[in-house]
Amino acid sequence: MTAENTRTDAVRAAADRLARAHADGVPVEPVRDLVTDVDAAYRVQDRLTHRWLGEGRRLVGRKIGLTSTAVQRQLGVDSPDFGMLFADMAVPDGAEIPAGAVLQPKAEAEIALVLGSDLTHERHTVADLFRAVAYVVPAIEVVGSRIRDWDITLADTVADNASCGLYVLGATPTPLERAGDLRTAGMIMDRRGDQVSTGTGAACLGHPLNAALWLADTLVRLGRPLLAGDTVLTGALGPMVPVTAGDVLEAHIEGLGSVRAAFAWEES
Amino acid sequence: MSTVTPDVAALARTLDDAALRARAVPRLTDTADLDVEAGYAVQRALVERRLARGERMAGIKLGFTSKAKMRQMGVDDLIWGRLTDAMRFPDGATVRLDRFVHPRIEPEIAFLLGRPLTGDISGEEAVAAVTAVAPAYEIIDSRYEGFRFSLPDVVADNSSSSGFGVGPWRDVRSFDLVTGLAHLGMTLEVDGRAVETGSSAAILGHPLRSITAAARLAADAGLVLEKGWVVLAGAATAAVPLEAGRHVRVNAGRLGSVDITTEEEQGR
Repeated sequence: MTAENTRTDAVRAAADRLARAHADGVPVEPVRDLVTDVDAAYRVQDRLTHRWLGEGRRLVGRKIGLTSTAVQRQLGVDSPDFGMLFADMAVPDGAEIPAGAVLQPKAEAEIALVLGSDLTHERHTVADLFRAVAYVVPAIEVVGSRIRDWDITLADTVADNASCGLYVLGATPTPLERAGDLRTAGMIMDRRGDQVSTGTGAACLGHPLNAALWLADTLVRLGRPLLAGDTVLTGALGPMVPVTAGDVLEAHIEGLGSVRAAFAWEES
Repeated sequence: MSTVTPDVAALARTLDDAALRARAVPRLTDTADLDVEAGYAVQRALVERRLARGERMAGIKLGFTSKAKMRQMGVDDLIWGRLTDAMRFPDGATVRLDRFVHPRIEPEIAFLLGRPLTGDISGEEAVAAVTAVAPAYEIIDSRYEGFRFSLPDVVADNSSSSGFGVGPWRDVRSFDLVTGLAHLGMTLEVDGRAVETGSSAAILGHPLRSITAAARLAADAGLVLEKGWVVLAGAATAAVPLEAGRHVRVNAGRLGSVDITTEEEQGR
């Protein structure tokens, strides 16, 4: 058996393991025993994406992760990562999220972009984004890990669709030119009157559009560019928050409005 | 028909003690011959006992401000009660419920008076007297067993008023009272979930009408609404029971919100 075959087998095995966790709703062991470098991890993610598209899931956008310097330091990386958003992961503002819908859920408040046109250049400028972004929307991403106890390295989270679970978009789309200064936009997320996370736009790679630029260029390189209608979750504006059954989280982002993630009580 | 003049001072003491001990008492009208006018005399004596203990007048509340509630109670006028500083909770306060008998909470609009008012005033005078407006809640807590009473009973019991909280004041120079309050959506949220929804229009058709009503009712009682007093205009939705260990928020859309948290029950 060649080294190439061995690597392909490892990617397939890692994808199978994560697909099983997704289908059964039970976390599995990390996959870093099978894939260790980022390229291989993205191959696992890509394999899962193909598999899920084949099962009829509709690709509707991307999430960007690892956008804060603190989290990058923690994982020893100097670059963000990304994962796929499928239509079945989109939750309307305030709609009840069933218990168990996301494994080991945590929530983070983000700025989402909705694209009005494709981003297919090899290298994009911020001006390209001005033309392409139709709306800016407050969002809550419910991250989750299909890997037991969130015991993840960079390779584990990249392979696991960047630990994405579900996402909630606010219902108040704002055109980019009226969204104000996204770098200084304040964010508070509260639960039962307690502020559980606070931050600003600058926490996301200095500016949420910077993260979107990185994503747009990266995806062109990988051959599956961002298209009109896609949603981009640009990255957390503040610390992520563990979630328990019954929680209702409400995030406010200055100039953009608010969004709520409501988690159902456990079924008794 | 009994001609015995009710012992106003004794009845006021009964209700005052009931409130102080947070114990319900039988309706006054079960044993005393009380009409609405006498009810107000008892209310006055009741609040004077509290003022003698150091409380200070802080405003006035209106009750039965919706047509539905008036019909339900078989009455054709508003009732009112006195607000003191001791009844007021800071925005975001955490309160113990053991000071109440069977408290309920309802969403309100609060007005801040910038000049004294009494008697028959015009709508223009009412608008001119208001310097600020805020989202608010009122805690109502009948001192009567089963929260059941006749009209003279509830009036004597300070119209069930037991506490109130006011959110951030909006200066009328930045918030148009007439259009801004015409049909402001209001929700009462418990632990992040909307349990009652309504419109500010439910308050007398328009909450501003509470100012003219309050001035008229105050004049009938020989009272002047003072500068700096709060007018609680009335409830925008039905009241809901206030339970231990809850976070309650009145969300008044563009006007803002006000919060209260109740402590867990002792010994839990």
